[in-house]
Amino acid sequence: MKSYILRQVIQAAIVVAAITVAVFVVLRLSAGDPARIRAPVFARPDVIEQYRRDFGIDRPIIEQLGSFVSRAVQGDLGMSFRFQAPVSDLILVALPKTLALAGVALVLSMVLAVFLGAMAASRPRSAWAAISTALATLGQSAPVFWTGALLVMLFAVNLGWLPAGGYNGFSSLVLPAIAVALSIVPTQLRVLRSSMRGVLGEEYIRTAHAFGLAPARITFVYALKNALLPLLTVIGVDVGYLLGGVIVAEVIFAFPGIGELALVAMKARDYPLIQGITIVTASLFVLVNLVVDLTYAAIDPRIRMEQP
Amino acid sequence: MTMAAHSPDLDEGEARAGFLARHELPVSLVAGGILLALILAAVVLAPALAPADPNAVDLKVIRRPPSAEHLFGTDAIGRDLFSRVLYGGQVSLLVAGAGMIGSLTFGAVMGMLRAFGPWFLRPVVDRMIDIQLAFPYVLLAIAITSAVKPSVPVLILLMVLAGWAGVARVVRAIALQERAKDYVKAAEILGASGLRISLFHVFPGVLPGLMVLAAMQTAAMIVFEATLSFLGMGIQPPTASWGGIMLEGKDYITSSWWLTTFPGLAILMTSLSLVLIGDGMEARSERLRAKETEA
Repeated sequence: MKSYILRQVIQAAIVVAAITVAVFVVLRLSAGDPARIRAPVFARPDVIEQYRRDFGIDRPIIEQLGSFVSRAVQGDLGMSFRFQAPVSDLILVALPKTLALAGVALVLSMVLAVFLGAMAASRPRSAWAAISTALATLGQSAPVFWTGALLVMLFAVNLGWLPAGGYNGFSSLVLPAIAVALSIVPTQLRVLRSSMRGVLGEEYIRTAHAFGLAPARITFVYALKNALLPLLTVIGVDVGYLLGGVIVAEVIFAFPGIGELALVAMKARDYPLIQGITIVTASLFVLVNLVVDLTYAAIDPRIRMEQP
Repeated sequence: MTMAAHSPDLDEGEARAGFLARHELPVSLVAGGILLALILAAVVLAPALAPADPNAVDLKVIRRPPSAEHLFGTDAIGRDLFSRVLYGGQVSLLVAGAGMIGSLTFGAVMGMLRAFGPWFLRPVVDRMIDIQLAFPYVLLAIAITSAVKPSVPVLILLMVLAGWAGVARVVRAIALQERAKDYVKAAEILGASGLRISLFHVFPGVLPGLMVLAAMQTAAMIVFEATLSFLGMGIQPPTASWGGIMLEGKDYITSSWWLTTFPGLAILMTSLSLVLIGDGMEARSERLRAKETEA
């Protein structure tokens, strides 16, 4: 187990390092001269030269990367052009909101997937099975921003039950979370349904039936325990997709999270901010994947025994 | 074998379907195919079907709700929404098709490279897939379009980047399964090169899985194009695309529902048809396999 953990941690570290270097180099090479972006349009050459020195881009790129990384590990990601504030502060304000949204959406989708998937697998001809098939195909086809727009029209504009956008505590989370959950539930639902079908065919389930246990208890306690493992993997792999959905939902609901911030930064060509957001979120998701992998290995010994 | 009786595992619904069941055609495949054919016909025939020029501004009819004259209503500068959705479909479908082909090709090559390439490339490909999957695609798009101006080639590049890793993961899994089989070992013993084995022996086995992926990938690309255009990073105005039309309608969401609802329905229907086709193809190959093992 120890060597497995070590190997996974090293791999995750390599991925984070690769992402950091890639983002840094790609932005440096393609974004053009940050001094020109930052400086007023008709700035004098010596003013631009001053900005260049401020950003440190008069030095070779390797040196810039080195100083960026050494400051980044201390939590300093530079100053935002647009907001005139430290990038790390801006991210620290926006990130918790995004995580809350992603968390609520994830819990919602898991509850839906577990309930509908289990019902569809244990009663393939019931209305639940039909609902889960419909949800799996429709959810996969509908873009998050469209479901979001429909939810706004229905619940915020027509019924007035929930806020259409912005951020005022929990009620602002509900609609975006539903929109995101609907977009990520199809994969989870498919996986849980098929793993549940497999587990329900096993002998220990037949034995449980023979002992006269209640079918609901068999499905949701005995079978679910084993059917949950593949769901966990899929969630780990789909975290990037989840955040993608959250970003889109943030835009349509004007929700002040990391996605909105990234979009503002993109429009303002505020590239220290983009750089910071990309690196922080990508690392976060590598971390989540790592935790999922390790949890998975802790539950299932076959995985940590496997040779690379 | 056309006279063969229904196999006992067919349920009542399939027995009643007659023709479909005899040819092992799942209902979802046929329904998806018909839906997609209708959409493609409407989009291709846009010049004949559209009542107006998609970019013709008519300030006398601003944001009119759907009527007999304007089937889907009109937008904020009086353009006919029905015509815009039809013409927008041409752009959206072409770009999605290009994105599908690109991501499928790159993903398949990387997946095969992982299974049959030189040993030192294998962990590299694995890590690349991990990185790409860990990286939220919208964030990637934001990072790239903040550096380079959005355009159609950039959009297609973003689609390839967003889609290849998922394809590579599936191709890798299928190819690794195939590699363990006896026929591959036999070819190896006979001295066939990795390239030859992967192209002529294993790739045909990967192909059916790739077909399912192609359908699913096109659906994903349609949603992806729409999402990026909706965020202002895809097709640029005044060219109509489904996501772009929705972006134009976003500000009027509380007063003019038709501006976002109809292009959204177009996206939903198209990607639904493709998901149905993909599901259907998968179900069909499963059935054929079940039949084979039975026989």
